[in-house]
Amino acid sequence: MSNIKYPFWALLAVPLLCAKLSAQTPSDAIMMNAEQACILLEYNYGSFDQYWEGTSLRENQTIATVKRNTVMPMLAVGILDKLNFFVGVPYIKTESSDPNGGKFAGAKGFQDVSVALKYQILNKVKNNGTFTALATVGFSTPITNYLPDYMPYSLGLGAPELSYRAIAQHKWKSGLYLRGAASYLWRGYAKAEREYYYNDGSYYTPWMNVPNAVTFEGVVGFWALNNALQLELNYMGSQSTSGDDIRSYNAPQPTNNIDMDRVGIFAHYYFKSIKGLGVVAYHNQVVNGRNAAKINTTGVGLTYYFNYRKKQN
Amino acid sequence: MKHNKYLLISLAVVFFLISCEKDLPTFLSYENYVFSSTDEDGGTWKPILINSGDEIIISAPSDVTSAEYLQELSDLKQEVSKRSNAEEQALEYWTDNPTIRWNEITLELIAKYNIIPGPNADGTYTLPNPNNPTGPPAFPFAHPPYAVRVLAYLSVAQFDGLITAWHYKYTYNRLAPFKQDSEIKYAYADNNIPSYPSDGAVLASVSKKILTAMFPLEAEYLEAKEAEHLRSLLLSGGYVESDIEAGKIIGNEIATKALERAATDGMKNAQTPKPVSDSIAAAAFDRFGWKWINKELPQRPVGLTPLYGKVKMWNVPNVELTRPIPPPNLDSQEYMADVEILKDYANNLTTERRRIANFWQDGLGTYTPPGHWNEFTKKFIVKYKLNPLRSARTFAYINMAMMDGGISCWDAKYYYHYPRPIQTIEGFKTIAGTPNFPSYTSGHSVFSAAGAEVLAYIFPQEATLVRDWAEEAAMSRVYGGIHWTFDAYIGTEQGIDVAQYTVDVAAVDGAD
Repeated sequence: MSNIKYPFWALLAVPLLCAKLSAQTPSDAIMMNAEQACILLEYNYGSFDQYWEGTSLRENQTIATVKRNTVMPMLAVGILDKLNFFVGVPYIKTESSDPNGGKFAGAKGFQDVSVALKYQILNKVKNNGTFTALATVGFSTPITNYLPDYMPYSLGLGAPELSYRAIAQHKWKSGLYLRGAASYLWRGYAKAEREYYYNDGSYYTPWMNVPNAVTFEGVVGFWALNNALQLELNYMGSQSTSGDDIRSYNAPQPTNNIDMDRVGIFAHYYFKSIKGLGVVAYHNQVVNGRNAAKINTTGVGLTYYFNYRKKQN
Repeated sequence: MKHNKYLLISLAVVFFLISCEKDLPTFLSYENYVFSSTDEDGGTWKPILINSGDEIIISAPSDVTSAEYLQELSDLKQEVSKRSNAEEQALEYWTDNPTIRWNEITLELIAKYNIIPGPNADGTYTLPNPNNPTGPPAFPFAHPPYAVRVLAYLSVAQFDGLITAWHYKYTYNRLAPFKQDSEIKYAYADNNIPSYPSDGAVLASVSKKILTAMFPLEAEYLEAKEAEHLRSLLLSGGYVESDIEAGKIIGNEIATKALERAATDGMKNAQTPKPVSDSIAAAAFDRFGWKWINKELPQRPVGLTPLYGKVKMWNVPNVELTRPIPPPNLDSQEYMADVEILKDYANNLTTERRRIANFWQDGLGTYTPPGHWNEFTKKFIVKYKLNPLRSARTFAYINMAMMDGGISCWDAKYYYHYPRPIQTIEGFKTIAGTPNFPSYTSGHSVFSAAGAEVLAYIFPQEATLVRDWAEEAAMSRVYGGIHWTFDAYIGTEQGIDVAQYTVDVAAVDGAD
C-alpha cells in the first residue's frame, strides 16, 4: 500500500566509477613502482532531477532533485613494478531536495569495499612514444547492511561484483595519449527485505538478480607543464546484459537493465614544491541512458605518493 | 608466469561465483500429496452465491459401460500416449490442487497492475478507465481495495463451483478413467474422488472468466492458461472429455453469477469525482476540525476510492456496525505522545524495525497486503494437505473477511478523514511511501487481522503465529513512518471484529 519510492539506478554504478576516475586507479594506465604507495581522499557531489524510465526521459516531483554526497578514501600500493593493488571504501549520503512529494528519508553509510589488482602486460617504447597494455581484476562487496531495494536513495547495488578490465594506451612523446578500456562486470544477488517482487513475473524470494554489465571507455589526455598536469576528456559507456525496465511511475529495483553514456573531464596536478602531493578534480555527466539517472557529478581529491619500503635490488 | 598464476586465481574466483548462481522461485513448488480428507459430503455445504450445490444443473453422465464412454476412454489413452515434454511439465506445474496455481496467477496480475497512475505533463492525473483499458494509464490500477475484491470474487466463485462439483461427483459416483482401465496411469496420487465433473475444469473456467473481467487486457494470456490447464487435466489420466466439459459448464455459470454481483456491488462508484471527494473532506472537517490532505507533487485531486466504504459487504450486515471509535484530537495528549513516538522511530531506525517495515510493506508493484495473506494461506493449504474444495473454502473465507475488512477500514478512513504523519509533523520523513488516502485506520492492520482470524479458525494450530504476524504487520506501518500507533492498534481490533462475521458463517456451512 506504500506509495512511491523513486528512481534511478545508475547512481549505483557511480561510486564505483568515481574510484576509477582518479589517478592511480584500476582503470588508468599509470603504474607505481614496487616501493611506492598512494593515498587518495576524494569527495564528490552528484545530483539529478531527471532519469530514464525505460528509454523515456522524465522528471518526478516525488523525488525532486536527488543529491548524493560521497567521501572516499583509497589506497594504492605498488607490490611489484608491474603489479599494483588497490583498496577503497566510499561513505555516501543521499537525499532529495525540498520540497518533494515523496517525503522519503535519505540514506547514509559506508557502501562497498573494492579491491583490485592491476597488472602491466606490455610496456613498449617505440620511436614515437610508448604503448602500454594492462589488465585489472577487481572485486567489491557491501560492508554494511544498507538496503539496495530502496531506490533512488540506496547507497549501492547491494551485490558482490567481480570486474575484468583490459586497458590499452598509446602515449606520444608530445605528452598526448589515447586510452581505451573495456570491462566485464559480473554481479551477484542483492537481498531485499521482502519475500516477493515483480520482475516481468512473480519472484517469491528476497534475492534479486543484479544484471551483469559491460563497459567501454575512451580517453584523450595530455601531460602539460612539464608532466605536472594531467588533463583528460573521457567517455564511458555501460550496458547491462539483462534486466527489466522501470515500470511506469514506479520505483526502480536492482533487477533493472541499465545502460548509459557518460562524458567527462578530469585533471590531476602534481605539486613540484611539496613532494608526493597532488590534487585531482573532475566533472562528468550522463548524457544518454536507459533506466539510469541523468546525473552530473563533480569531484575533488588529494593524492599523496610515498615510498613505503626501501628500493629492492 | 606470475601473470598466469593471477589468471588462475581469478578464474577460480569466477567459478566460485558462478556456482553461487541461484534458482529464484517464480511459483510454489511442492510435492504432490494425498489429501487429508475427501469430504464426500462437500456437496451439501452451504455455498455463498447460490443456495445449494444442486442449484446449477448438469446432465447425468453416460454410463461407464456405454459405447460413448468407452470411446472417450480409448481417445484418452491415445492422447496420454502422445504426451509431450511440455505437457509433462504442465502436469507437474498444475498438480491436482490447482487452486494454488490460479491464486498465484491472480497475485501476479495484481502485482503487474498495481501501478499508480503518474501525473501528466500539465500536472493533471488521468484515472484508469475500464472502457479504455489500454490507457494510458492501463486499467485496472490493482491497489489493495481492488486486489482484495478480485481475490474475493475469484475464491468465492471457486468455492461455490467446487461445492456444486462435489454434489455431482458423489451423486453420480463415476470413477476416474485410471480406475476404469488399468492401462491408464494417473499423474497424481489417487484420492479416490469421483471424476464427473472435473473439479480442475471448474477451477480453470471460473478463474479464467473472473480474471478476464477483472484484468481485461489479459484475456489472451488467461485463455492460454485455461487451455493449458484443461489439457493437462485430460492428460493426467484422471478425467475423460465429458468430465471436463461438465466442469466447464459449472465454472462458467458460477462465474456469471459472481460477475453479476460484482457489477452491482458499488465498486464502480468508489472512485469519486472531485466535488464528491471535497464534500466528504468538508463533512469530516465540520465534524472533527481536521481533514486529510494529499501531499504529493503535483497534488492528487482525489484520494483512493473514497466510497469503497459503501461497497456491498459479504458477511457484515452494515458497515457502521464495525466503525471504530474516533481517533484522538490533534491537540490531545494521546496525539502528542504519538508524534514523539513517530519522531523517535524516525530518528532511531533499527535494523529490526527497518526489516519489519519492508517485509510487510507490500507496496506499489507488489501483490498488496491481501496478496501477502493469500501467500501464507497457500503455504498452509499445502502444509495441511487440503483438497481443492477445502482450499477454495479457505481462500473464500479469508478473502471475504479481508474485503469486508477493507470496506470497513475505508469507511473509517473517509468518515474520520484523519491526517497522515507527514501532514501534521513538520519536516517529517518516512522510509515507506505515504499512500493516497487518510490515515485512520491502517489498511494493513485491518486486512492482516481479518486474514489472521480466518486462518486461526481454519488452522487452529497456527493461531498464535498468524495473530503475531498480524500485529507485526500493523506495527510495520508505524515503523515506516506513515501511520499513528492508534491507526495500527484500533485497526487490528477492527479487523478482528469484522472477521468474526465471516468466521460465524464458516462455522455453520457444514464443513466443520
